[in-house]
Amino acid sequence: MFTHTAADRLKKMLAVALAVFVVLGIRLAWLQLYKGMYYGRQADGNRMRNAVIMAPRGRIMDIHGTVLADSSPGYVLSLQAGHAFSDQETELLARLLGLRKEDVREKADRAANTYEQIVIKGELTPQEITSLEEHMKELPGLSLDLQPMRHYLYKETAAHVLGYVGEVSETQLKQGKYKGLPPGSIVGKEGLEFVYDDVLRGKNGRKTEEVDVRGKVIRDLAGQAPVSGKGLVLTLDFGLQQELEQIMDKQLAALRSSGIAPNAYAAAAVAMDPNTGAVRALVSRPGFDPNWFVGGISSAHWKLINENRFHPLTNKVINGEYPAGSTFKVVTGSAALDQHKVTPEELIFDSGKHWLADMGNAGGEALGWINFQTAFAMSDNVYFYEMGRRAGIENLNAYAERYGFGKPTGIELPGESAGLIAGPAAKKKVFAEEWTLGDTFNAAIGQGLTLVTPVQICQMLAAVAADGVIHPPYLVEKVVNADGSVYQVPERPKSRKLEVAPETLRLIQKGLKGVTQPGGTGAWFANLPVPVAGKTGTAENPHGQDHGWFIAYAPAEKPDLVIACIVEQGSYGATAAGPVVYDVLQSYLTQRIKNETKKADEPIKKRDSLQ
Amino acid sequence: MRHFIRNSDWILILTVILLTGIGMVLIASATHGDALVAGTNRFVKRQGIFLAVNVMMAAGILMLDYHSLKRIAWPLYGITVLLLLGVMFFGHASLGAQRWIQIGPVTFQPSEFSKAFMIVCLAAFLDDRSDYLDQWKDYLPACLFMLVPFILVLRQPDLGTALVFAAITFSMFWICGFKMKWIAALAGAFFCAAPLLWQFLHEYQRNRIRVFLDPELDPFGAGYHVIQSKIAIGSGMLWGKGWMQGTQSQLDFLPENHTDFIFAVAGEEFGFAGAVVILLLYMLLIWRGLTIALNAEDRFGTLLASGITGMYLFHVLVNVGMTIGIMPVTGVPLPFLSYGVSSLTTNMLLAAVLQNINLRHTRLQF
Repeated sequence: MFTHTAADRLKKMLAVALAVFVVLGIRLAWLQLYKGMYYGRQADGNRMRNAVIMAPRGRIMDIHGTVLADSSPGYVLSLQAGHAFSDQETELLARLLGLRKEDVREKADRAANTYEQIVIKGELTPQEITSLEEHMKELPGLSLDLQPMRHYLYKETAAHVLGYVGEVSETQLKQGKYKGLPPGSIVGKEGLEFVYDDVLRGKNGRKTEEVDVRGKVIRDLAGQAPVSGKGLVLTLDFGLQQELEQIMDKQLAALRSSGIAPNAYAAAAVAMDPNTGAVRALVSRPGFDPNWFVGGISSAHWKLINENRFHPLTNKVINGEYPAGSTFKVVTGSAALDQHKVTPEELIFDSGKHWLADMGNAGGEALGWINFQTAFAMSDNVYFYEMGRRAGIENLNAYAERYGFGKPTGIELPGESAGLIAGPAAKKKVFAEEWTLGDTFNAAIGQGLTLVTPVQICQMLAAVAADGVIHPPYLVEKVVNADGSVYQVPERPKSRKLEVAPETLRLIQKGLKGVTQPGGTGAWFANLPVPVAGKTGTAENPHGQDHGWFIAYAPAEKPDLVIACIVEQGSYGATAAGPVVYDVLQSYLTQRIKNETKKADEPIKKRDSLQ
Repeated sequence: MRHFIRNSDWILILTVILLTGIGMVLIASATHGDALVAGTNRFVKRQGIFLAVNVMMAAGILMLDYHSLKRIAWPLYGITVLLLLGVMFFGHASLGAQRWIQIGPVTFQPSEFSKAFMIVCLAAFLDDRSDYLDQWKDYLPACLFMLVPFILVLRQPDLGTALVFAAITFSMFWICGFKMKWIAALAGAFFCAAPLLWQFLHEYQRNRIRVFLDPELDPFGAGYHVIQSKIAIGSGMLWGKGWMQGTQSQLDFLPENHTDFIFAVAGEEFGFAGAVVILLLYMLLIWRGLTIALNAEDRFGTLLASGITGMYLFHVLVNVGMTIGIMPVTGVPLPFLSYGVSSLTTNMLLAAVLQNINLRHTRLQF
């Protein structure tokens, strides 16, 4: 001790020290005792990660149980929540995965501000996983997980029926059927995947994991198992579907290479059972592989789809609107016969052109005195101009409406087009011109303003084949549980009676059968093992070559298959669409005969085995 | 020997033993993950080995008379300046600052040792001039004396150590009779000059101050340490989560948890109870340090002891304050607890100096 001052000052220093400890102690008490629970929750928030366990999406099968779409585990790359990514990192990622830079950047920005990880790409290929692993050090904040992923087993096959899945978009989260879903959910975007999303999706599970600061899972804490989605059994017959697609592709290639129709890339065909409305096959061309969309489409694939001027994503069976061409003679014939404007026996003279207007047959030929049967089989225009004139445009349009034109058939696909039944009012509205006799003539042979979709045409022919009952087309036979038991049979539009007299229908049927016999426009169909009924059609196309139609039902007696086919810019129906329908029916009927003989043989075999 | 036993400050010895022991326990927990991977805890081993060496060095210091320190004060000053210059030219960088020098297998932080050296140098410097410290101008030579090492550590940049120098200087000035009004004037000058000083800070230092005022400014960047440290301590509540059970430190949410943020491990795993016990031990340490200063047989001893105690107090205030979010983040370790052999050695040697002063004490108590 050397001075009094120093002693005094040391005492004051001790007092300061005491004050320091009191302050520290009070602050500790505040943090640990008063706010302890709050910080406890924060610590749990740090270490506990709530992860979603994706529910496997329900399978989609054809009528015989062939699986068309299922869920199998695939690698999914996600961005960890709360991790900030630099531009170099996002650009590297985009390059490695073949994604668009802006998309990756946008997802990275979202990841930085959320508490759930953001999926960047699903269904990584082994090559992508390898290249990612090589760059893992430059890319912290990523996690690679196994998740059930949608697989479309047969790629393009039935793509327009199945549709595809993808991550729910920002706009979808705000409105429509996906409103309020958690961001990043995988939902149906098109086709049946979209329409039946609620049953297919299932219920995601959750799990709570303890993770370290790098996101590595230390242990599982709690969880709830996911419930897988229900399955769909479709009306489609996979064998017929594949057949139709292969035949269609072959025919389109042949049309292009032969020079008959160099622009024949787009086409549509639909086949259904006229007795029920069950759609057996549905093809739209060009097609696409729905697998491309699973887990985010690559820019290369997107370019491929986007730059194809024939719109691969458009389902032309329900969204293609075309003039009906001569297939419309079913409607014109029905109107004229039903309203007794003509008798089947009455002969009308075809001099090559109608006597009231300078309009004639496509090839310029003249058939002379002909009755309804001949006119229908040979698709004579002059005869049907006269039918149109006698029936009048009002009657033509009324019958078109009876056959289901001008409104969607109600098939369970999103965004079906209604088509258009055009009369004087429509012409005035669109062209500000008066309706003329020439317009009625054109309407009578399906070259007017009226537009139809292939599925509507198919429904029309099916109504004739079913002796006057309209069974609207449908695609889903039943919704099934995982064990195959029926969960639900979806409600479908009711069957209704076609307001056309039975006698009229019999005459139309007779006409259709005549088409496929010697002398008809589809005479070579007579070579099929069983007689069939059909009609050719050529829809005038001001933008290019004409579209070729062919519609048919088989067998001619007690039919169980109706098929409608159109080849855009394929030229004459008989040459463009006819071969497709012929080949499909050939195979279908051969198979049918085989099955019938087998059925007949079976009881005998059983008896044999008993002995 | 009997003289040694009778005149030793056993409370001080016991306090230091307890604090270093607790330090080892906390380091073991904080580096548990690393030990699991490596199979052995290299941090605990290294700290243990150096603790043993330090105890022997401390015993050696007790053999000498602390007055001999006064004779080597000027050479020590030269060594300090050389060491700090050495860091500038040969040191290697880590965490944005150049602080380490490597000699053989040992890396050490000269700035830690410079704290001890400067206490000795300043005590000797002031002791020589203590009769002429009446006017504020009389303190200017001492200020200049401290300014050289101060600027050198600031250049590393090591704001923490620079502030420790200031705290040491201030403690000793206070004992010499530095007047309250001068302190007020200095504080006023500091506030006026604050905007100018801001210009001299590094960007990361400015961020630390900005984030100190509002950690949520940058929750995943500069504010991350403080936020995670507060979560760790707060979530410990009254009794803590148990040794090696702290989720914040075990799952690595808390960075630097074995060095600067070791107190957060204590708060998380041993709760308010454990944290208060540690604070009480520091209180004992300060109390003994000031008592030794009071009882020192001469002015040099008093200055030395109060400088040492002032340094301990400042370290505890700044480090604990930082972990509980009432002080900005500066790289100041917690004496005896933080992992780091330079810091441990410095603190052990200074404790030995305190003990040495006590061995030659008079008998006064507060």
